[in-house]
Amino acid sequence: MVDAIAHGEYKVPGGKLVVVDLELSGGRVAAVQVSGDFFLEPAEARDAIDAAIIGLEADAGEAELTSAVAAALGPETQMYGITPEGVAVAVRRALDAASDGTGGEA
Amino acid sequence: MSAAGRSDWRDHDWHLVHEGPQAPALHMALDDVMLDEVAAGRRPPTLRIWEWGGPAVVMGRFQSLRNEVDAEGARRHGIEVVRRISGGGAMFIEPGNTITYSIVAPGSLVHGMSFEEAYAHMDQWVIEALGGLGIKAWYQPLNDITSEGGKIAGAAQTRRRGVVLHHVTMAYDIDAAKMMEVLRIGREKLSDKGTTSAAKRVDPLRSQTGLPRADVIAHMVEAFGHRHGGLVRDTLRPDELGRAQALARDRFATPEWTALLP
Repeated sequence: MVDAIAHGEYKVPGGKLVVVDLELSGGRVAAVQVSGDFFLEPAEARDAIDAAIIGLEADAGEAELTSAVAAALGPETQMYGITPEGVAVAVRRALDAASDGTGGEA
Repeated sequence: MSAAGRSDWRDHDWHLVHEGPQAPALHMALDDVMLDEVAAGRRPPTLRIWEWGGPAVVMGRFQSLRNEVDAEGARRHGIEVVRRISGGGAMFIEPGNTITYSIVAPGSLVHGMSFEEAYAHMDQWVIEALGGLGIKAWYQPLNDITSEGGKIAGAAQTRRRGVVLHHVTMAYDIDAAKMMEVLRIGREKLSDKGTTSAAKRVDPLRSQTGLPRADVIAHMVEAFGHRHGGLVRDTLRPDELGRAQALARDRFATPEWTALLP
């Protein structure tokens, strides 16, 4: 049972746009898609970022989200225009949109 | 080869591939195949100039289809939506309205560089070529070429098996109104696309050179060869084209790949 579907965006300072679409269920992230015009090698690192966010609680703070994303990325990962902090802000914005009932589409 | 393991442009035997118009999905596949060919040593480092067989939206590897593309607008205008293997943003293409090229090179060319340095390095020849056409252009990090007349181009890189693929689309004369019907570009992104909502055309190359597109390309090719110690005219080998056609059919033209991130 999906409680909310929400969208969040964040332009990383000096970087690219990170877009988050997620579903909440039972107070946790049940599904998520991180997308955007950033550069990431290897490409599979994006799947690892999604996987790191799934299951996190809807009230997770930016620091916790940042740690979860950073921990999912291996030492071989190369990022250009995207950072774990940037992903965390976009996720937090989506979570805030879900809790205020707008879904981030307003 | 420098002591640091970095090669110079002139250390390589550059080849030019400039075929007739090809389908958007085939272009995606050709980048993939040529990356592997250079990695395997079967193809020399290559500058490939693209001609488009039809209008297209080319999404970046990590972009969401529904967030970036107005599906109804694309359908209405008969525009094919494809996804490339590199990151970066969506581009709106109509044949003759852009200049697109790929450089497939050994990674030694950018060895030890930051991403920011590597992007600028791969397009320094273009900045100089534009200068030769009277356009004062410069690199704008992370991945743009811009000018006094607005943004000219966006670049994207991906790396695999010790090879760097660097491809660029330059705006020659783009129909901005149609672009707005096809791409979902937020108001804040408009300035990044070199336009405002009032602009009818995004034509930094046409308006600042006054030259036909083919003449701009000819000048760029000349400048590349002059700066890099030669550029040998080449064609795609039949086996390269055959593999790219199979890859386009099996991957790049499929809804599964285009909607990889729905």
